[in-house]
Amino acid sequence: MTENGTIVAGGPTTSAVPRARRSWAWLGVVPFFAFLFLFLIVPAISVFYNAFDTAEGLSTSGMQEAFSGQNRSAFWFSVRFSAGSAAIGVVFGTLLAYAAATATRPRWLRSVVSAFSGVAANMGGLPLAFMFIALLGRQGVLTKVFAQLGWDLYAGDFELGSVPGLMTVYSYFNIPLMVLITLPAIDGLKPAWREACANLGGSSFTYWRRIGIPVLTPSLLGGFLLLFANSFSAYATAAVLTDNSMIVSSRIGFFLGGDVNLGDASIGFSLAAWMIVITAVSMALYWIARKRAERWQA
Amino acid sequence: MTVVDPEPGAAVTGQTPVVPVGVGRPRARFGRLVPNLVLIGLAFYFIAPLLALARFSLQNVPVILLNFSTLFDKWSLGGVLRPFEDPIFWDSLTLTLKLAVGTVVLTLALLLPTAIWVHMRLPKARGLIEFVTVLPYMIPAIALVAGIKIVKPHARWFLDSEYSLIPFYVVLALPFTYRSIDAGLRALDLRTLVDAARSLGASWTETVLRVLVPNLRTSIISASFLTAAVVMGEYTLARLLLIDSLAPYQRILVGKDSQAGYGLNLLALVFTTGLFALIGVLTRKRDRARDSFAHRTAKLAHSTETTPA
Repeated sequence: MTENGTIVAGGPTTSAVPRARRSWAWLGVVPFFAFLFLFLIVPAISVFYNAFDTAEGLSTSGMQEAFSGQNRSAFWFSVRFSAGSAAIGVVFGTLLAYAAATATRPRWLRSVVSAFSGVAANMGGLPLAFMFIALLGRQGVLTKVFAQLGWDLYAGDFELGSVPGLMTVYSYFNIPLMVLITLPAIDGLKPAWREACANLGGSSFTYWRRIGIPVLTPSLLGGFLLLFANSFSAYATAAVLTDNSMIVSSRIGFFLGGDVNLGDASIGFSLAAWMIVITAVSMALYWIARKRAERWQA
Repeated sequence: MTVVDPEPGAAVTGQTPVVPVGVGRPRARFGRLVPNLVLIGLAFYFIAPLLALARFSLQNVPVILLNFSTLFDKWSLGGVLRPFEDPIFWDSLTLTLKLAVGTVVLTLALLLPTAIWVHMRLPKARGLIEFVTVLPYMIPAIALVAGIKIVKPHARWFLDSEYSLIPFYVVLALPFTYRSIDAGLRALDLRTLVDAARSLGASWTETVLRVLVPNLRTSIISASFLTAAVVMGEYTLARLLLIDSLAPYQRILVGKDSQAGYGLNLLALVFTTGLFALIGVLTRKRDRARDSFAHRTAKLAHSTETTPA
């Protein structure tokens, strides 16, 4: 990224004047922080407050209940399809980014891949779900092609709302998202490193084993975490694909939707609190990984 | 809406070819076979669902009969035009457009001064602000809506209104919008621009409005488009707070008149895709014409000679 002069603008100063000015400068960001506090932090804190606020006063019983029985299996279900689709996204996203970055033949390949990724990574929500219902639903176009080839997709327990189904659908935005993450990382692999490796007698395998993979690892790990959080918290697509409440986000929606009585809603709040914990931890780790990955991307 | 990095910087680094193919051992002829197969497979994976949705919405054939033999039968625009005959569609579209405009205005009013201020006066806080702007990733929409439901009884005067969605949409779009504006500011030589404008007698307001905003035009436009795309497709908050905006209507329509419903979803898809494609084009243009600030400063110097500051 570009460096500019603003960073050094202050310079090392010793007098008391700049310090006084600095304390004023913080006032400029107060509206921004106040806004975020009101519309993001306050709702988030109330989720936690309500999750811990039970009939017997503050206790963890609500949080425990949200992690037992059916709720527990919902978490397990969500973790499985989120991790699965994140893994698919990491593998194919990296392959696609690598193919696009190194391809020499069709010149336009790279720009098409990166432009398309920018668009498809944002494709979520309803249209995505309906696209896959049209393709792989019970009356889906591809389902019928499979049927003609003698393979009944729905013979087993396949469903768009099952783990393999959701993995298939979510990869549609996870793969392009991974391309956006890894393209700069692959660009950061300097040709000189490969040359140096070859000069020292290393094979292509040595290059990847000792240089390529280690340099890319933070990006790959970070990408996995971002994709995982992304799939885990998605609501709209899942809500259309299936009405089974095995998905944590659908379950929260189910407990919150309409005018359910408060007892049920409180489980929704505890589930939401768990969801914040899980996505926040993944995103915080992603943040750390990204900072490490940026070291090689001058 | 999915969580996404628009990665404004990607286009900048985009031009450098990476690993020279010739270095190292000569590759076997099938060396490109695997990448090519991956590319073809992925192309199919990404295009097939679009085509399937197009068949569902643009063919006047009952879904059960949509097989190979009916591939060329009865294509028509009926499916994508029928939603426009429904007054409820117009209501939801109007509401969504109002929400989108409100969100764009509020986003710019909040972010532009903050981002400029941070770059000018608080460069040390840049890391902190950047971190804060990814907080909406950590508190996903479905969890945010739970919080809103809790707060709602205490602030009905505000949260009962449909327009109370606007600030929450600003928050949801924040990771994209802030990065877009931040990238625009990084690309400028802010200090020089401001010093030049100020020493030529421009006031602070003038500096911001006549020097910085024109230079940030591309960032502002792409931030606005990103915001609009987020608002137009937002389902979670609208559905669970029972607000009749476009996305919940898209789902209801599929239940009522499935062909028109699929058609509307296809339109929504085409519309958002168009917005994102435009953002991509704009961002690439900006990177090409980055040295324009000298030109602009010169122009300002010229105009301040004739107009009293």
